[in-house]
Parts: sequence; C-alpha cells; structure tokens
Amino acid sequence: MLTAATPSTKTNWGKRLLIAIPYAWLLVLFLAPFALVAGISLSTVRLGMPPFEPLTARDGSILNLRLNFENFLYVLTDDTYLLAYLTSLKVAAISTAAMLFIAYPLAYGIASCSPSSRSLLVFLVIVPFWSSMLIRVYSWMSILRNDGLLNALLLKVGLISEPLRILNTETAIYIGIIYTYLPFMVLPIYSTLSSADRTLIEAARDLGCSRISAFWRVTFPLSLPGVLAGCALVFIPVVGEFVIPDLLGGADTQMIGRAIWLEFFNNRDWPMAAAVTIVLLALLVVPIVYFQSRQSRERT
Amino acid sequence: MQSYISIENLAKSYGVVTAVNNISLGIEKGEFFSLLGPSGCGKSTLLRMIAGFETPTSGAIKLEGADVTDVPAHKRPTNMMFQSYALFPHLTVGKNIAFGLQQDGLAKSEIRKRIDEVAEKLQLTALLDRKPAQLSGGQRQRVALARALVKRPKVLLLDEPLGALDKNLRTETQLELVRLQRELGLTFIIVTHDQHEAMTVSTRIAIMKQGQVLQVGSPSEVYETPQSRYVAKFLGETNVFAGSRADRSGSELQIDSDEAGGRLHAAFTDRVALDAPFWVSVRPERVELATSGSGLEGTVEQLTYTGVERHYRVRLKSGATLDARRVNLGAESDLGVGDRVFASWSPQASRLLAE
Repeated sequence: MLTAATPSTKTNWGKRLLIAIPYAWLLVLFLAPFALVAGISLSTVRLGMPPFEPLTARDGSILNLRLNFENFLYVLTDDTYLLAYLTSLKVAAISTAAMLFIAYPLAYGIASCSPSSRSLLVFLVIVPFWSSMLIRVYSWMSILRNDGLLNALLLKVGLISEPLRILNTETAIYIGIIYTYLPFMVLPIYSTLSSADRTLIEAARDLGCSRISAFWRVTFPLSLPGVLAGCALVFIPVVGEFVIPDLLGGADTQMIGRAIWLEFFNNRDWPMAAAVTIVLLALLVVPIVYFQSRQSRERT
Repeated sequence: MQSYISIENLAKSYGVVTAVNNISLGIEKGEFFSLLGPSGCGKSTLLRMIAGFETPTSGAIKLEGADVTDVPAHKRPTNMMFQSYALFPHLTVGKNIAFGLQQDGLAKSEIRKRIDEVAEKLQLTALLDRKPAQLSGGQRQRVALARALVKRPKVLLLDEPLGALDKNLRTETQLELVRLQRELGLTFIIVTHDQHEAMTVSTRIAIMKQGQVLQVGSPSEVYETPQSRYVAKFLGETNVFAGSRADRSGSELQIDSDEAGGRLHAAFTDRVALDAPFWVSVRPERVELATSGSGLEGTVEQLTYTGVERHYRVRLKSGATLDARRVNLGAESDLGVGDRVFASWSPQASRLLAE
C-alpha cells in the first residue's frame, strides 16, 4: 500500500523544505528587522540606551500604545529630505541610463564572440568582485584626488595646466556608481543576448532588414527582459547608496543614504532615521512594481 | 538557354572542410526542386548560399540571368522558411506576417489586404492575434510559410520545413505544399533528408553526397534509373549484386554474378562500362518469388507483415540476401519461413550501376 505513495510524498516534503529555507531566511533577516525599523520610526527620541522610547507603556493594568507620527510629518514636509530624495532618484536615474548605454554594447560585443572567448570576457566583467567594494572605492579616491593619478596623467600629457577638481563632486559620485554597478547591468543583458536564437536575425534579414533594422526590430525587443532586470538591479540599490556618495561626493550632493546615516550616527535620532528609511522603501516600491510587471508582461 | 536560377561551379569551404564542391545546377521557373541527401552533404549550405546567408568561396548564382552572388540576403528576391520556423516570439502572428511587408514600406491598407489574403489561404485568420508560443507545431509551420509567401518572392526556399511535424501531419502538409506551389506558380527549392518527402513534392530532385550532386532528375527518373550504387541505395530499398562478367546477346545482357550465385538478365545499355566494376540492382517490389521454376535459389529467412505489403528476406545459395515484396491483396501468403524459393525478375527490372 505504502510503496506507491511514498516517492511522491517524499519529493513533496523535499520541495516544501527547499522553499521553506529561503523563506525562513527572508523572514528572520529581512522582515523581522523591517518590523523593528518600522516600530522605531513610530517612537520618540530620548537620551539613553536604546535612544528611543518604547512603544508600549504599562499604566497599572492598562497597556498603552504610543505611536508618534511626528517623524513622518517632518520627513514629508521638510525641504532637506525632499531634496535628498530627489537627488537620490536623479543620481540613480542618470547613472542607470549611463550604465545602459555602456553595458548594452559591451554585452552585445561579448555575446557575439566565440563561446571560448565569451567565458573569458564574462570572467573579466566579474573580476572586480574579487576585491572588496570599499577598497575599490578608496582606489577611486586616490585616482581622482587633485594630486591623484588621473590629474598627474592629464598634467603630464599637457591636456590641462592645473589639476581638475573631480573628487568630492557629483561627477565623482557618477564615476564611482557606474564603475561599481556596471557588472549588474552587463550580466543580465549579456545573458538574454547570448541565449537569443540567431536564426531570428537571419529570418529578419531574409524578410528585408538591414543589419541595423534587424537589431532594432528583433534583437533589441527580445533583450528587453535583460535590460529591465539590469535596470532594476542597478536603480534600486543606487537610490539608497551610501558608501560611494559619502567617500567620493561632496557636501553639496546630499543623497538619502547619507541623510539616514547622519540622522542615525550624528544626531542619534533613531526614530527620525527609521522614518526616513521607511519613506525611502515606500518610494522604491513604485519602480519595483513597475519593473516586475514589465518583466512578467515581457515573458508572456 | 539560361535557366531561371543557375548555379555555376559553386563551392564553399570552411577552412579545410569543403561543404559544397563545385556544383552546377539549373532550376526552371515554377519548379518544385529538391536537394536531397544525408546530413552533412552540403544541401543546407547550398540553400543558404542561394538565400544569401553564406558567401560562396567561388562560383556564381544567377537569378533570371542576373548575378546575385554578392547581393546581401535582405536585397534578394528570395525568402526562406526555416527549419525551426524562426517566428519572432515577441510579435503576434499578424505582426510576424506583416514584418517583411513593413520593411518594404508598403501602405498599411495594402499590408492588411495581403495578410488577410495569405491568412485565408493558410487557415490562419483566427490566429492572427496569438503569439507564436500559443500555437501548435502545425500552426507555426503555416505561419512561417505565410510570412515568407506574403512577400511574393521569386523563389521560396524551404529548409527541412516539415521536420518537426509528426508523420500524419507531414504527409498532409506535403500535399498542401504542392497544391500551394501549383496555385501560386512560384519556384520552390526544398532541402530534405527524407526521400519520401522529396519524391512526393518534387518536380525534380538533386541527390547530393559529400558536397556534390550525384544525379538530377524527376522522381521517377532517379528512382527507376539510378546511375550509381549510392543513388540506388539512397532512394528506396534495393538489392545490389556485383557483376562478374557480362555477355551481350542482341538487346539483352547475360550477367554472371558470383555474389548472387547465378545468371542475371538485363536490358543492354551503353551507359555503364562493363570492363570496370559494375553492379546489378533490382527493386524488391520487382522480384517474383516462386516455389518452383528457374532463377536464383534460396530459402525464406524472414517474413514481415506491414499491412500494405509482405516483406520477404531470402538467403540465397551464394550466401547473399535478397529482399522481395508482395502487395497484400487479401490472400494468405503461400510462402513461409524456411520454404525453398526461386527468385526471378524481368530483364527490364534490372539496372546496371557504376560505383
């Protein structure tokens, strides 16, 4: 009796376990901290440890819940935060567009190489991950400094007569972000391009397309899922990026990641930092839902 | 006279590998021409050179007398139906069919008209808004055909167009292709490794081997009068015996064959040199088996019943095997395994073959 049923029940449990592990992971390490942050955002700052009032207080046999929406009101009405949000979105949008322009031809070039050189070229795209991102950003500091490598080279060649100020400007932020995030744009585009059916291009050519129109009418639309995935992978983390603007940017470019950091560590206002974070997450839901729905539409 | 399509000394090499070796062919307007051969014989490469996807190493391709050898694929008046169909997965059936017309810059109303026309002809009208992923294999095949035909090419090239269909649908589609081709009066060139398919659809067949064309002719010509052992064996099944010695008496040849273990008869031909090695071929359906009389003696070793026919495998006294077939006309077989039989056939059924 049992023999026939056993294998299917077994695989079923194995499947459930396989799904349960990552979900448990997400629950413990993402959802629980998120709940904590959300809780802190509704409390009031105080001196002491932890530096915020508990949300609940016992008054005899009555449990009082005290929610403070002041932080959110402040975040949503204060110009400094609004500007920081807009700056973050602008930096993310411009660098995502720039990366798309750099990554697409790169991915296309790699995908049109022979299979053996492809793997070498993909390897070269991934190689920067072998060293810590922090170290790589520090290296950019020494390259972009007034007395850094880049200025030394430009001076020596004679293109400039005095050092350019690049470090601590918005340009440096773009350089750092594009450099750091480029592989996340290249890889998904490369993967859709390399798995594309080459006979489709031949079919387009056969039906009267030049190489260029075959690209725009067939190759590019078919690579859109990769483009969307790349944009999502790059845009969303860049909005909240802290390290790169902090190390390479100047005081005049205030991004939201840095605003959170300042609230948290300089002002020790945890509830305010948490509120800024929650608003940032809410803002990001919009592009995430957009990318998700576009992708599921592309697939059908 | 110049052919509609003429292929002149065409060759294609990839490094040291020669895919197409100095082929010359003439294909006439309105023909349904097959390139038939095993995989790797160069038939697809030849078709791709006609389409413009491959550049010949040497030689020329002419269409209506004009040299198109160096004309790129998108400017040739040929269209291809791909083995994988190569439908654009991101476009609906209607937009797939419209693709080539839009590229030609036709007016919207004209495009609409032509799509409706071809969709009706190929029973695709109800499917125009579907995506290729939502279609069955047979429907995809019709869309691929419609997409190529709607451009009204001078030559339609078909690369193993029915390979992905199951057997029943394939037979049906072959007849459909022939009907379409007659109706439209277009020139079709088809690449196939399936001899039945080539025989069913073609006006003429070119049988290819290792980059060369061995024989060109109508289906009955290449089947009835193969000129080489390879062609005889590739098209249908056949019995082949090496000839040892031949004597001519009038219009008939008396051939001694050690392999068959007896004397064979054939009509005289000057096509095959009898001082070089030669073979005698006879199709199994032309062989008569009798329990007594004259001919090659042997015993029935195997009997297979296929419904339409009975297949007999006879072990001859010489040790060679001989296949014979009888159409099933309802009667029980009077021959069984182990029976002694005499195999014979008319001299006209014998074919003399060179290597």
